[in-house]
Amino acid sequence: MAFFNRVSPALVEILNKLQSGESLTDFDHNLHEYGSVRYNIQASASSPQIVNLSTWMPPLSPEFSSDCLPDCALQDVKRVYLDSAEVVEPSKQGYMLTLRIDFAELPQRKEDRMKAISEISSLHAVILSSQMKDMLWNLEPRYMGNGMCNPIKIVHQLKEPFFVIKMLEKTTVIYPMRFKDDTDVILATSFFQELVDVSNLEAHYKAPRCTWSPIPPLELRGEPFQYLTTNGGFVSLEIFSQHIRGTKADNTVWNLLTFISYVKYHVKVIRSARIRGDEDVKKHQIGGHKNVKKLMNFSRSKMFKKRYTIITNKIKKFHYRIKIKWLLHRFRRQWLRVQKIPLLRKYRKLD
Amino acid sequence: MAKKNSQTEYRKVDEKVQNFVDEDLTKLRKAIRLRPLLSNDTHQFATTLRLYLTCIRNTLEAAMCLQNFPCQEVERHNKPEVELKTSPELLLNPVLICRNEAEKCLIETSINSIRISLKVKQADELENILAKKFLRFLSMRAESFQVLRRKPVQGYDISFLITNYHCEDMHKHKLIDFIVQFMEDIDKEISELKLSVNTRGRLVATEFLKQFI
Repeated sequence: MAFFNRVSPALVEILNKLQSGESLTDFDHNLHEYGSVRYNIQASASSPQIVNLSTWMPPLSPEFSSDCLPDCALQDVKRVYLDSAEVVEPSKQGYMLTLRIDFAELPQRKEDRMKAISEISSLHAVILSSQMKDMLWNLEPRYMGNGMCNPIKIVHQLKEPFFVIKMLEKTTVIYPMRFKDDTDVILATSFFQELVDVSNLEAHYKAPRCTWSPIPPLELRGEPFQYLTTNGGFVSLEIFSQHIRGTKADNTVWNLLTFISYVKYHVKVIRSARIRGDEDVKKHQIGGHKNVKKLMNFSRSKMFKKRYTIITNKIKKFHYRIKIKWLLHRFRRQWLRVQKIPLLRKYRKLD
Repeated sequence: MAKKNSQTEYRKVDEKVQNFVDEDLTKLRKAIRLRPLLSNDTHQFATTLRLYLTCIRNTLEAAMCLQNFPCQEVERHNKPEVELKTSPELLLNPVLICRNEAEKCLIETSINSIRISLKVKQADELENILAKKFLRFLSMRAESFQVLRRKPVQGYDISFLITNYHCEDMHKHKLIDFIVQFMEDIDKEISELKLSVNTRGRLVATEFLKQFI
């Protein structure tokens, strides 16, 4: 769930605490997220309104690894945080970016202030999206000898890399899917079938075409064996220029980055036997769509319980107290009662 | 002497059960022979299910003549003989009714108890998971059902154990109705569960793709 949330909840909590002026001492906090993203938050007691937020994250693709932030990402960060924060150059040692946040400059209205803090807390998503966008827009197709394009490995989550194959007319994103156990594999496979079906519908002709295959696609030929061994097969999404144009680009890029988490969350929800409360439903909605809210309320345990109650009610209906027991009791009372022997109770005086 | 009498009685019942099974099998064979005449598969499916369930109902009606019978091994104990299986003279021949390879029903009868084991249809892996989870869910709450066995017999998905006490305490015909109704419903429930999982998958997929449009 956390993987497809743009906002880091831990960062929001810390920034909220700092902006409310709760800490009166010097503040220096290190935060690790998703195993590889590091944050450092610094604030001094003398000027509690000013906070320095530094971050480091591994490069999106090992092929373009560098210690500093790519130019495109830096420009994007500057553009997004124009009103709320400024980029400190050079950044703090050991970090790729440092932002200086002045709480005094943030909007005074509570809702706007919260919104600004949430925006700052989505720094990780902003950097990743801009790197990915840059890759999709500006990368030249790199043809191999056999006419195929060279795939680029993207590592958003440490153990789950995926591949981007840039071609002239389209970009293919291939996700090797790995799951913990067979149940997850079966549930995910049924989801992939639905995904492929839906993407082939006429109503979704503008959406990227999806394909699923249990064996590695041809495009991945030559990749290390460890990336090609999966239990959930390979999902491919074909992205065209229309999908990464204008305002859609941010959404597209984030969806591509978080596709694996999205599938895993869906599988987890189906598997879970826990009954979700309304609060949980509110927390876990994706994009706030009405249908999704209904979906989040889906719980197999609830369905099972409903059916179970129907069956137990049936049992209760035909269960009845047998009359013979009562008759027997009456019979015993009438006929098998031990007769009182008055003689035994009387004492006879012995002479 | 009493033992001999009970044996002859049970042999009669056994024959009766066999007759019912034969009758139903003949009907089933007739239905199979009539196959080309049937207009569609649904009708045929319903017919085979009806025959299968009628066969089980008839067998249960014949087999469910239970009586109180104290344990022959342990004094002052009363145990379901179908579970203990210590005295072969108290057991009837088990009846296996198969609709196909995947769906079958085993009815084991003894003097004071009857055990009904069901194997539920599982067309694919998803149905297999759902059936397993649903039946486990029911088995965990076996005490609410009274007649449900906590652990199914090996090779079957769910088992019921009906003792003479159940028969004394409940309407016999309603117990049979319940078993047959349960068998009818379980397929429906699993199909519904599968449908809801697929529907959810479809909606999630649609929501995902909508974000690109």
